[in-house]
Amino acid sequence: MPLEFTLNGQKVSLEDVPGEATLLEVLRQRLGMLGAKEGCGVGECGACTVLLDGKAVNGCLTAAWQAAGRQIATVEGLAQGDELHPMQRGFVETGAVQCGFCTPGMILTSLDLVEQEPVPGDQQIRRALAGNLCRCTGYHDVVRAVRRGAKYMRGEGEEQ
Amino acid sequence: MSLGQSLIRLGTEAKVRGETRYGFDMPQAGDLHLACVRAEQAPAKIVSINPAQALAIPGVVRVFTAADVPGEHRLGIIAVSRDQEFIAPGLVRQPGQCVALVAAETPEAARAGARAVVVVLEQQPGVWSYDEAMAPDAPLVQPDNPGGNLLRENKIRRGDADAALKDSAVVVEATYTTGRIAHCALELEGGRAWLEGGRVMVTACTQNPHYDQADLARFLGVGEDRVRVIQAETGGGFGGKLDLSVQPFLALAAWHLKRPVCLRYTREESFLATAKRHDLRMHFISGADEQGNITALRARIDGDTGAFASYGLAVNMRAAVHATGPYRTPHVDVVARMAYSNNTFNGAMRGFGCPQVALAHEAQMNALAAALGMDPFDLRKQNALRHGDHTATGQLLGAGVGLSACLERIEPIYRKWQSERRHADEYREGVGVGVMFYGIGNTGASNPSTAQLEWRPDGRVTLFTGAADIGQGSDTALMQIAASRLGLPMERIDLCRGDTDRTTNAGATSASRQTYISGNAVMGAAANLEMQLVQGAREMLNQRHLEVELKDGMLVAADGRAVEPAEVARHLAKAGGRARGEGRFDPNFTALDPETGQGRPYATYAYAAQCARVRVDTASAMVKVTDVAAAHDVGRAVNPRSVQGQICGGVVMGVGMALMEHYQQGRTDNLQAYHIPTAADAPDITPLIVEEPEPSGPYGAKGVGEPALIPTAPAIAGAVSQALGRPMRHLPISLERVMEALTAAEGETTRED
Ligand code: FES
Ligand code: FES
Repeated sequence: MPLEFTLNGQKVSLEDVPGEATLLEVLRQRLGMLGAKEGCGVGECGACTVLLDGKAVNGCLTAAWQAAGRQIATVEGLAQGDELHPMQRGFVETGAVQCGFCTPGMILTSLDLVEQEPVPGDQQIRRALAGNLCRCTGYHDVVRAVRRGAKYMRGEGEEQ
Repeated sequence: MSLGQSLIRLGTEAKVRGETRYGFDMPQAGDLHLACVRAEQAPAKIVSINPAQALAIPGVVRVFTAADVPGEHRLGIIAVSRDQEFIAPGLVRQPGQCVALVAAETPEAARAGARAVVVVLEQQPGVWSYDEAMAPDAPLVQPDNPGGNLLRENKIRRGDADAALKDSAVVVEATYTTGRIAHCALELEGGRAWLEGGRVMVTACTQNPHYDQADLARFLGVGEDRVRVIQAETGGGFGGKLDLSVQPFLALAAWHLKRPVCLRYTREESFLATAKRHDLRMHFISGADEQGNITALRARIDGDTGAFASYGLAVNMRAAVHATGPYRTPHVDVVARMAYSNNTFNGAMRGFGCPQVALAHEAQMNALAAALGMDPFDLRKQNALRHGDHTATGQLLGAGVGLSACLERIEPIYRKWQSERRHADEYREGVGVGVMFYGIGNTGASNPSTAQLEWRPDGRVTLFTGAADIGQGSDTALMQIAASRLGLPMERIDLCRGDTDRTTNAGATSASRQTYISGNAVMGAAANLEMQLVQGAREMLNQRHLEVELKDGMLVAADGRAVEPAEVARHLAKAGGRARGEGRFDPNFTALDPETGQGRPYATYAYAAQCARVRVDTASAMVKVTDVAAAHDVGRAVNPRSVQGQICGGVVMGVGMALMEHYQQGRTDNLQAYHIPTAADAPDITPLIVEEPEPSGPYGAKGVGEPALIPTAPAIAGAVSQALGRPMRHLPISLERVMEALTAAEGETTRED
């Protein structure tokens, strides 16, 4: 089937998308967008997280057709050229990235959270990220990263 | 000087942009896709393999079997126990072992092809535990193994443990067990291979590219020069990417088909086909005198390595060597035995047997304290290894023993948490402590690293290292060491890493060895480079005996003249030379005596003490680890934030080991059934860095990768034991086990009433 949606602000139209294809497969295999990862394929790890109309979803559980006519954001679309997105800066500066395989999903889930809760507390952050597994960091620095990213998104703390 | 600074890890920006290409991301358009046909029964004889139906599927181009392996079937990291067959030649030894490999134009066709291959197996009798394996007349898992099903016995004997136990004021005895654990690196194993100029190129996630190269050459029956391995960015390893995974399949298919091929494991396949942490059974008898000085340890440790040895020898030896824990123990009698079984194989995982024995030695400390009527923290302080002490292997500890300092940092937190401890109807709280030491590098064996530093004519420097960064941060640490030693900002140095054509062997990223061993190799390369630059400068200045030194990136002569190293590089280049320093470092060790286990297995040890605070919900039996404080003696923190990151990651992995992780093959082969800690499960962590410089380390540094995990589960087990008022001796401390303990405790209270 044909499929059209907006990816990181750009229209994409595809032909011959199999009905059973997942959004993750379409992004990775058809569009070469490799920022969304696959860690389990069954909705348990969050490595495949993308934003569907601003909401964090598991790309591996989302059917490709569900994206039709909607806005998809992946990690590749966040930075403006050289300038990182404030949430990306939060992750960089706090050392919240070790192997980095979970990072794109973590960042996108955090954006969804901050959209709903601009000043998230630690427990809110931990709950929001509970679907994004990380085996490296112990989440300690990730929580700090989200706090800092949220602060930057509010326009605070730019001078640091 | 960048050493000691919390620099952002190299590659971080690409990672947050989603630009990093992991082994898993390697497939390219036009690649052939591979899929493994895995045996469901084991042990079993392969009666026949019929690929006809698979080959009839459009897109399937070839089905390989063991007959297509041109070289040796049996591979493995430890040369004396090389026994893993990637495509089973005749006999399936473990469930999930690959028996055939399908190559196809699409991943779908490859998977369909793998399902269509008809494999006829004839089930054989198997052994499924240490006890079954060691029973008389047990069927043999690896008939070529000289010890039958016994892979190895390691003994540590010092003094007279039996007599000392007899004379001890108190003796405590118990059996402890731990569960099998899956590494669950977030990145699934993946990679790509192709041919170039008659050579096979393999890029995949790995912890040891040079080992991969050697074993792939063996597998293909060619010289190592015909194989090039390039480490892909690796999304975590924790020991799980030390053994080969996808690489032999990739190399074999590319070799025969002369086309680029790719392969990725699914999570289920990763569970089934890669190593796990050994479950160990540990019987410990410990004694102390009236003053609370430990007198002796008698320990028997049994392990099941599964169908392939993998790192079983290393785990067994390390478990034996570390069984006493970091405590002065004058009389020691430890026997560790590791057996083969038909279970999926166990191998290296963060700590190699030490996290398991730490459960036992720490619980024994708590039991001794109780028997003596002493405070368990004081008992640890009193017996903690110090400078001038001997370990169980008779190694005299010189400088660099920071255990007492770690305990000092933890003590106020421990005391405070103990004083805040509350019980209510709905919950019970407990606080526990875990202490460890950990030998850096391989046990009683040579494990050198090499590195090169080249000052290029364009003024930049390149660091060449074979050390695999798997996310833990060795790239950054080695660059910081190089930059500091050469007096340059890190931005002036380029890194070439993990490519067997361009770098030399640095050994495995394991055993917390890269900072210490590869860091020292980098120091050596810098010294060697400096010497060449100084020679070159003398030639250029026409004065053979002039004193010249490299200072802040400049060659400064005693007569005040200065030469830029790049000029020297250009000068050398004119004569066809290069300013390229070579470094090599092999830690100072002695092999252990086979009968007594005496010797100097490691050049240096890392030390740590952690305490954990837990709350047990009495109604649901849920255990929540609320806080962990972790003090680690790393010698010198090359990158403090990186060290803290390692500590926090290790602690949370320890939470998983303590409370929830228990791999059961065939039952927990995905993340729905096998749970690792989430952000909501993770405690608040206070990472504390202790720096007791190791004189032989680069700037005093040791390592932290594995130590970070080791004390956590024992600390949590101690805390839960305190909360429930009974010792928790088996991991994981699952809901069922807590429930059982709560019920038992309740029974006791009722009786007392
Ligand atoms: S890959 Fe989608 S949740 Fe794991
Ligand atoms: S940084 Fe490796 S999984 Fe999160």
